[in-house]
Amino acid sequence: MADEIVFELLHSEIINYALEQTKNDKDTKDTDLSVVEYIGFAAGYKIMERLTREWPRFKDELDTMKFICTDFWTCIYKKQIDNLRTNHQGVYVLQDNAFRFLTNFSNGHQYLEFAPRYVAYTCGLIRGGLANLCINSVVTAEVQTMPSCKFHIHVQRS
Amino acid sequence: MAVCVAVIGKDNSPLYIGGIGTDSSTDNELSRQWLVHTALDALEERLVSSNTNAGNAPANAARTDLRDLYLGLLYSTDTHKIYGYVTNTRIKLVLVTSSTSPSGSNIRDAEVRTALRRLHALYADAICNPFHLPGDQITSSKFDKQVKNLMLNNV
Repeated sequence: MADEIVFELLHSEIINYALEQTKNDKDTKDTDLSVVEYIGFAAGYKIMERLTREWPRFKDELDTMKFICTDFWTCIYKKQIDNLRTNHQGVYVLQDNAFRFLTNFSNGHQYLEFAPRYVAYTCGLIRGGLANLCINSVVTAEVQTMPSCKFHIHVQRS
Repeated sequence: MAVCVAVIGKDNSPLYIGGIGTDSSTDNELSRQWLVHTALDALEERLVSSNTNAGNAPANAARTDLRDLYLGLLYSTDTHKIYGYVTNTRIKLVLVTSSTSPSGSNIRDAEVRTALRRLHALYADAICNPFHLPGDQITSSKFDKQVKNLMLNNV
């Protein structure tokens, strides 16, 4: 469907743009993805207000995570998270076996070194969504084989 | 009828306070702020009780009620009734109605609920304004106009 690919194309262009910006900066050798992460954060923060409008109040943190795995994920990636694991102490692992931004690449290891670019936005998106629900967290991603992806959420308790 | 509507942020800072009407007790900003802020303690209290009740089996009926975003009548004074609504993102919406005006004496709960749900929808639109920074006051005149409209047409 052409209307669904628009989001993916915009996403990949934003990443190209952000990489282009940092390339001009001679001092840094690493690719700077914090801009992309921040764009995701802002989007996640705003979209959460809209998505939770018709939702009853969340019982606890796990209830919130289930919401992220089902409704939040369906809204953005047109599918649900395949697996949610937690140690009940503030660490949650969300596994998506066919992550939308990675499905266009060849399976296996061919483009594996570029995978971090394509998960940064989503890390920000999750972090922003949770921040608006008053859960401060650190979100990291792990890609072992395309197109599956794991997101680790560490809830920061203060 | 509704005389005042307020949006209060996560940290209890006022994001928006708007009012209409010729009633002398609500026509200035200060008295509106006073009315709204007296409601915050009551709001806080309801939220705490909804959290402690979670996971408590005998309080099942109460819990389903408290999971509703609409918290109902917070309290009433001689002249005003104050209703509250707290979103999942801990944004507090407060609606003040006059209980002295002839039309205000028989406000139905369902009407206030609808008005607050519509206010929530307006707020969700307002924060998608790219010129608005989360946590700042809402200065958009479109939002202001829509809220005033809501107050005139609803309750």
